[in-house]
Amino acid sequence: MKRKLASLAALATASALVLAGCSSATDEGTDASTDNGDKTITLWLAGGDTPDELRDYLKSEFTAQTGATLNIQQQDWGDLVTKLTTSLPDANNTPDVTELGNTQSSTFTNVGAFLDISDMYEELGGTNLLQSFVDAGMVGDKNYALPYYFGSRAVFTRADVWAAAGVEQPTTLEEFNAGVAAINAANPLNIPDFSGFYLGGQDWRNGISWIFANDGELATVKDGTWTSTLASENTLTGLAQLQELYKSASNAPNDAKDSNQYIYLNDSDEIKDAEGAVTSNTSLSAATIMAPTWAHWSIGTLGTDADGKATRTWDDTKNAVFALPGNDGKPAPVFAGGSNIGISATSKNPELAKSLLRIIYSEEYQTMLGQNGLGPANSDYVDSLGDDQFAQALIASASNSKLTPAAPGWATVEGSLVMEEFFSKIEGSTDLKALAKEYDDKLTPMLNGE
Amino acid sequence: MTTQNLVLGQADPPRPARPRKRGRSTPYLLVIPACAILILALGYPLVWQFITSMQRFGLSQQFGQPPEFVWFDNYVTLFTDPYMWTVVARSLAFCLVTAAVTMAIGTLMALLMNAVHTSVRITLQISLLLAWAMPVVAAMTVWNWLIDWRRGVLNSVLTGMGLDFQNHNWLANPLSFFFVAMVIVVWMSVPFVAFSIYAGLTQVSTEVLEAAQLDGATLAQRLRYIIVPIIRPVLAIILLLQVIWDLRVFTQIRLLQDVGSIASETNLLGTYIYQLGVGSSDFAMASAVSIFVLVLTVALSWFYVRSMLKEDES
Repeated sequence: MKRKLASLAALATASALVLAGCSSATDEGTDASTDNGDKTITLWLAGGDTPDELRDYLKSEFTAQTGATLNIQQQDWGDLVTKLTTSLPDANNTPDVTELGNTQSSTFTNVGAFLDISDMYEELGGTNLLQSFVDAGMVGDKNYALPYYFGSRAVFTRADVWAAAGVEQPTTLEEFNAGVAAINAANPLNIPDFSGFYLGGQDWRNGISWIFANDGELATVKDGTWTSTLASENTLTGLAQLQELYKSASNAPNDAKDSNQYIYLNDSDEIKDAEGAVTSNTSLSAATIMAPTWAHWSIGTLGTDADGKATRTWDDTKNAVFALPGNDGKPAPVFAGGSNIGISATSKNPELAKSLLRIIYSEEYQTMLGQNGLGPANSDYVDSLGDDQFAQALIASASNSKLTPAAPGWATVEGSLVMEEFFSKIEGSTDLKALAKEYDDKLTPMLNGE
Repeated sequence: MTTQNLVLGQADPPRPARPRKRGRSTPYLLVIPACAILILALGYPLVWQFITSMQRFGLSQQFGQPPEFVWFDNYVTLFTDPYMWTVVARSLAFCLVTAAVTMAIGTLMALLMNAVHTSVRITLQISLLLAWAMPVVAAMTVWNWLIDWRRGVLNSVLTGMGLDFQNHNWLANPLSFFFVAMVIVVWMSVPFVAFSIYAGLTQVSTEVLEAAQLDGATLAQRLRYIIVPIIRPVLAIILLLQVIWDLRVFTQIRLLQDVGSIASETNLLGTYIYQLGVGSSDFAMASAVSIFVLVLTVALSWFYVRSMLKEDES
């Protein structure tokens, strides 16, 4: 037994040594400051939104500037909060720098998950940085998490179906509401379960635009205490419009969430007979959807690229994109998508992590973000988005976009799916005010992290 | 008794002569490592969970703030919350119905395997094994495609049969959600039940059955008065396992919820704990519910465990 233990221990030590040898071997050949040669920091990126080109740039630039290695790990949006909850407090497993959703940012900032980087704020862009995102990463007057990129939500339509129904592109929210209901009633292509405007019953992320557009708020804060305000007058106006949309313009299932609704705009699933005539229902079942602006990559005619991967090519004769119009001549305030980025408070290499932030907020990287359709955090570089119709829709809708409440408990609200539940009950409600009141009572303690 | 022992895989007497008592402590010493591992692996998390369930433990505590000890506050909140009881009732109903259906289909499968020709039986066994060996997530992906509301095979077949199931959403209504969930859970657990009962059936001696047949017992009578009593210990333990497994069912429900349904209307205990702990970062409340589920499981299985112990003694 003893001998076995001893040999096990020997084996463990030996393998530890070998593994250690491996890791230091990879650092050979770094030319810059050799002090950092054996150091590695980890960056977590959420989802595949950051293209490979940008990741490669970060890695090579980081090594060139510091001599250390940058390890980029991609996390799924779905379990990001879980992973951050378990990893950030643990110095041995924490990512040094992490991206996280802008609405999740305030919760983690408030519990002290991130390093105070107020001293770098001016250097990284200061007031040029997107302020609503900066606020979501602040406690008091200290900065913890900063904006990484922003997106926004726009309206995507089947211009051909709109034309067939004889409805013009709307210039006000009321015209939009009436227009999609008219298209729904007309159903010019006779598609079963057709939606003039496909809005899932649990899709609050798009639905809250109607609350915001009527000057409603989800919650207000006074002296540090948050109050859910679903039952306030303006919010109720928005909810009533939503109820009308659910009833008369959308045939989306009551349990559908904000997920890939753009597939309902594509018609590539037509079943054709020998002559090429359409014989059976197509997958096209919506004239209008709302989605983050980058969804345009998934809308259009099906094709394949050089590597044989399926691609979609936007077709101007069929598709159109515009910012959801408001009633005051400006675009309606929609839910701003995007991410924040912060340094873990338990990071063992905070100086290297700060170097990484300097690279991310450099003109070169910010420009690269814009060129790839992601809104750069620094407003000086927004021009890099270009001026095609998608960039225009992004810039227009982002100009008036809003964030969810920066309350300490907002990530909890999202995690417990209360908003989904509330929105699913809007269509069938006979007393919206009572329903809103009921959910106000649930949300207020959650918002305050109680 | 002999047959029962055979079924349970125990060796029959004659018993070997007891070895002389040497050091009385040796057996205890030998048991210590196993106990130590059990205590470490099972006891530690259990104790931690129990302590956490009596604290306020949220995201701030996870990030290092000291938790406040509140004794049984969480339990009081829990037991006065009507939603909790809805979930408990829902879980119990789901678990009992699912376990019963699984047992019924599993038993029929086992009888079928016992009755058919070897080649048919082996085909049957292989298909059952494949269903059993399928990773849950992979199987769930396929199930989700089958029941997809727009392009699913199920709706297409039903519509083809002249019924109006075009774009029918199975997951939106909680009742049909649980029906779908039950079908999937039953599909996944029938193989285990069928194999175990089949193993039990092979232990029923053909002489007894032939004798009964000569005495004029019908098939139903033979099943009821001979086969079932003989394999009862197997049935009892399998039913117990099914009840426990179906009470803590999680993956299938969770993956169905990802596709559709309103979470609050379709939560079972497993997903409720997940939503409390992982979703809302309320680790204390999640621990309290877990402890409650543990107690519930013990209570549910107590009756069975006791009757099995009794049979062992007799």
